[in-house]
Amino acid sequence: MTRKGDAGTLLEVRDLRTHFATADGLVKAVDGVSFSIRNGATLGVVGESGCGKSVTALSVMRLIERPGRIVSGTITFGAQNLTEVSDDEMREIRGNSISMIFQEPMTSLNPVFTCGNQIAEAVSIHGGLSGGEARKRAIEMLAQVGIPDAERRAEEYPHQLSGGMRQRVMIAMALSTNPELLIADEPTTALDVTIQAQILELMKALRERNRMSIMLITHDLGVIAEMADDVVVMYTGKVVEQSDVNTVYEHPHHPYTRGLLASIPRLGEKRDRLEVIKGVVPNPLNLPAGCLFQRRCPSAMPICDVAPPLQEVAPGHLSRCWLTPAGGPPSVGEAPGTQVALDAAVALSVE
Amino acid sequence: MARSEGLPVPGSRAARPATEIDEVDLVPVRTYWQLVRKRFLQHRLATIALVLMLVLVTASIAVPLIGGDAWFKTSLTHGPKDPSSLAAPLGYDNLGINIFFRLMRGLQTSLTIGFFAVLIIAGLGTTVGSIAGYVGGWVDNVLMRIIDIVLSLPTFFLVLMFVAFMGQGNVFVIIFAIGLTGWTTAARLVRAEFLRLRESDFVQAAKALGASDRRIVIRHMIPSALAPVVVASTLGIADSVVTEAALSFLGFGLRTPEASLGNMLTNAQDYFYRQPLWIWYPGITLILLVLAASFLGDGLRDALDPRQRIEA
Amino acid sequence: MASYILRRLIQAIPIIIGISLISFLIVHLTPGSPVDKFRTPRVSPETINNLIRLYGLNESLPVQFGKWFSKFWTFPFDNTAWGYSFTDGLPVRDKIFARIPSTLWLTGMSLLVTVIVAIPIGILQAVRQYSWSDKIITTFSTIGYALPTFWLGLMLKQTFSVQLNLFPLFGQNSFGKQGDLLDLLWHLVLPVTTLAVIQVAGWSRYMRASMLEVLRQDYIRTARSKGLADRQVIFKHALRNALIPIVTLLGLTVPALLSGAAITETVFSWPGLGFLGVQAVTERDYPVVLATVMIGGVMVIIGNLLADVAYAVVDPRITY
Repeated sequence: MTRKGDAGTLLEVRDLRTHFATADGLVKAVDGVSFSIRNGATLGVVGESGCGKSVTALSVMRLIERPGRIVSGTITFGAQNLTEVSDDEMREIRGNSISMIFQEPMTSLNPVFTCGNQIAEAVSIHGGLSGGEARKRAIEMLAQVGIPDAERRAEEYPHQLSGGMRQRVMIAMALSTNPELLIADEPTTALDVTIQAQILELMKALRERNRMSIMLITHDLGVIAEMADDVVVMYTGKVVEQSDVNTVYEHPHHPYTRGLLASIPRLGEKRDRLEVIKGVVPNPLNLPAGCLFQRRCPSAMPICDVAPPLQEVAPGHLSRCWLTPAGGPPSVGEAPGTQVALDAAVALSVE
Repeated sequence: MARSEGLPVPGSRAARPATEIDEVDLVPVRTYWQLVRKRFLQHRLATIALVLMLVLVTASIAVPLIGGDAWFKTSLTHGPKDPSSLAAPLGYDNLGINIFFRLMRGLQTSLTIGFFAVLIIAGLGTTVGSIAGYVGGWVDNVLMRIIDIVLSLPTFFLVLMFVAFMGQGNVFVIIFAIGLTGWTTAARLVRAEFLRLRESDFVQAAKALGASDRRIVIRHMIPSALAPVVVASTLGIADSVVTEAALSFLGFGLRTPEASLGNMLTNAQDYFYRQPLWIWYPGITLILLVLAASFLGDGLRDALDPRQRIEA
Repeated sequence: MASYILRRLIQAIPIIIGISLISFLIVHLTPGSPVDKFRTPRVSPETINNLIRLYGLNESLPVQFGKWFSKFWTFPFDNTAWGYSFTDGLPVRDKIFARIPSTLWLTGMSLLVTVIVAIPIGILQAVRQYSWSDKIITTFSTIGYALPTFWLGLMLKQTFSVQLNLFPLFGQNSFGKQGDLLDLLWHLVLPVTTLAVIQVAGWSRYMRASMLEVLRQDYIRTARSKGLADRQVIFKHALRNALIPIVTLLGLTVPALLSGAAITETVFSWPGLGFLGVQAVTERDYPVVLATVMIGGVMVIIGNLLADVAYAVVDPRITY
């Protein structure tokens, strides 16, 4: 697949909905999520466990299995809509133009095949390389990801490697086909902090080298700050805030984002109590009406009974909240505007 | 969808303390046993199996009580040629005995043997297994060797030997033989559970609170370890009944006039040409019993194992 | 690996001693004396005494055990190692060795059939979980597993042999056709079906469960994310892992190869080891009984060892 021009959107997700029909009820894991990733850019997707970020990634890869299903939405990758391409076409793309790495490197690698074998497999099915060539490429990749003595390591099994090395193997495997987009689902969460730093450095270097876009999923705001160009904040299956990384960190709008950022303890700051976001994430089987964050929000207002749409609070900065860009309540003084917004929201939120 | 009136005030909803959690946010809590029951009932087959099992057990108790001596009373007036009637739905056998009543009596005998054998298995197995698992060390080693030895011997053959040499046709010997040879699997299961639980957090916590060993074992560990034993016991009953039937079939089990599913099959074999149905009555009963026990065991296993998922 | 095997063999010694002890004790602690069956009015007390002395029954139990145990292991060289049968006076070892091939034919064939049938069925069920085919096969499996061996054998015999006259009634060969392979296979059909139906039912469930467990694993998701076709995911990545416990199962089935078919053999009068054992118990032929139990036990130990070794070979995570 030819790489797009240097400017331009590589991946565009519009109104993606992925639902799970479980024994206990319908879980709307991803409910109307839209974002785009530019060529060469890194998008950070941040949120608590269960907010739907992993499901979003798996939806892009079309790896959602029963009882889950992509219900609606489009995923535009280059000229194709990934929600509509055939299985064969999707297989062409997976592991080839879009690669994914997962959180747990130990369980994500097949224990009965050598590392080299697993990397070589990726290139041989997509690149048509012969056995010998594939093996050479595998060793090349292992060296690239910083594994010393690559030729010997290629013959070893996953259980013989440490956690950090296994994650490097995963990265080698994912990058061996030179993908345009790498989806990284919590790549460093399972690793020690020092190893985390190494892996992140490695990812940055490879990103430079390969001019690759990355969709980085994590709950760790520090990692996002390190790596991301743009940020999407998710909460219970919806995007609640979206902008470039500087804006989100310096001018967060949505109370959830603000709460997340405020809860990070800062070095040198002495406090008696840590900031918390009160309450718990709502039960996905029993979502409240109106704004889903309402019950936990320090700025909750009566208008929050109406679910807010994703609104632009500044150019390129979206937030799903009724608060004005300045952070105050929508005032009655802005009568026509407010009323129109209210009417529109009531019409929209028949959810 | 309320429409707001008047001036909205920021933070008006925030007046409640930070620690409060709304009811609607929590997943409804159920006790372990409620969950078990719910999971079990979701298993349609297991529920049917449970009903079937209850029917069989009730029939095996009630019918012989009603029938009195009908199960061994021979008769010269009735015979295989009699058509089935309300009093004898399955007809009469070659000795004039009412087959239906004999069948139910046989079921009763088989179930009794199975039940008591499993009692021995579960009791002996749990005791040995819990000691081995909890105490560990050389005690565990010795006990495991013993289990290995008993397990290495061909089970059915052992039972056969035991029964043949110690007292053929004796119900107690049969029960004993099946029990003594079958406890090892249960012991292993319990031991495995105990080994797992011993290192678990809640046991450590109990120890930290100063609970005595005995209390920990009895109150905390045995209930957890019981789950696999219950499942194994359910299947064990079926197994024991079949073993008894096989014993009788080979001539080592209960002899006539005693009735067991096994010796009814032996008798039926001799008459197969003339009375092909006779082989089906005890056979189907046996199979139904085993099926019921199997599904019941499966259902129990799924219900008791918290890690099982159930898909929509 | 070699050291592991050696270690296991050494560990097996106490177990073997234990097995021997128990077998010996059961036979000797039965009420009455082993020679009771010979006490007919025509046999003089002197002869009985001679017998007792011949079999060393007048010596103390530990001595008897010691003698028997040490003699037992000379069987590769000495055909009297296992004593003489009470039934016909023939050396027990010869009687048993004569029966082994028959049993191996029976159990070997059914194992082959089981592996060929059960594994693909299990895979199919796992891949198409909850589909109609899965449910139907599961139902048949459960019913099949619930069938008592002797009942199934009996039914098959009565239906196909007696009524339909399609297959022979008993035995391994028809008269005069001793070395005929085709005849042997024809005789094998019913007994093998009896054994195989139940085994397939059990094994396919096992295979299904193992496959399902593997398909749930993260590395299967990784394989899919690499763009592998379903077929490669299932037959390369999943199967290789799912077969590991099956290999262990195979190892554990080895002991049953010699002693697991006693009932079936009896139903079909198949001249195998199991049938011999049952007859011996009926006839109180203690030397034969003892030898049969011992063989069964030793086979189990070998089987366990084989299972562990196979497991180590097949799973790279296991090191010794």
